[in-house]
Amino acid sequence: MINDLRRRREEQGWSQGALADRLGVSRQTVNALEAGRYDPSLPLAFRIAVLFGCRIEDVFTAEPADLGPVIPSAPDAVGSA
Amino acid sequence: MLGDMTSDLDSSFESSSDSPRRLVDDRDEPSLGDRARKRAYLREFTVGMVGYSVVLLGVVAWGGLDGTAPSRFVWALLPVVPAAWLLRTILRHLERLDEYQRALALRGVAVGFAVAMLTAVTLGMLASAGFNPQATPWIIYGAGMIGWAITSIRSGCQ
Repeated sequence: MINDLRRRREEQGWSQGALADRLGVSRQTVNALEAGRYDPSLPLAFRIAVLFGCRIEDVFTAEPADLGPVIPSAPDAVGSA
Repeated sequence: MLGDMTSDLDSSFESSSDSPRRLVDDRDEPSLGDRARKRAYLREFTVGMVGYSVVLLGVVAWGGLDGTAPSRFVWALLPVVPAAWLLRTILRHLERLDEYQRALALRGVAVGFAVAMLTAVTLGMLASAGFNPQATPWIIYGAGMIGWAITSIRSGCQ
């Protein structure tokens, strides 16, 4: 999945450590999320969305490879990147 | 509730003399939660290691493990008590980790276990051919720990 977590964090003027404390996770985890090395659990994705006042799909976008054999019914559910 | 949590954190960050730009860029700085988790782990781990060292010295000094007294078995088992404390420390640390760090930590444990099992099978096959080193349990222990340590260090760099 791709995400714009880094952009949203920087807009708030937060460090990775500050965002980590707000989410109740480690800085290492925030770094892995921003780098796209780790896809969060659903509860963590909800915490991120609540913190930034948006929906999960505003922050995270599935890439075609994430969907496997599933054919999306809504084209904008899949990232164009 | 989330508001209370973030307002507490806000006040701690506002008291910092760092500029906003500096805060955004401090990617190598651990978070407050990271520091708290590390402190708790180090505190418990230090207690366990000091206890283990003291008990081990006592066993070496007074245990008489080379003798024939039945009490030597009790002495030999004494270091297991602080070792069990260390196991408890590691399990508590795993509970404190978040989901990503726990996955990395469990991968380290899994690799350590697999290396230990592979070493045990290797030494077992060698033993069936007549090669049976006295320190076999410690070789298995060391191999497992090395596998765990290397995987954990690699995970820490990610």
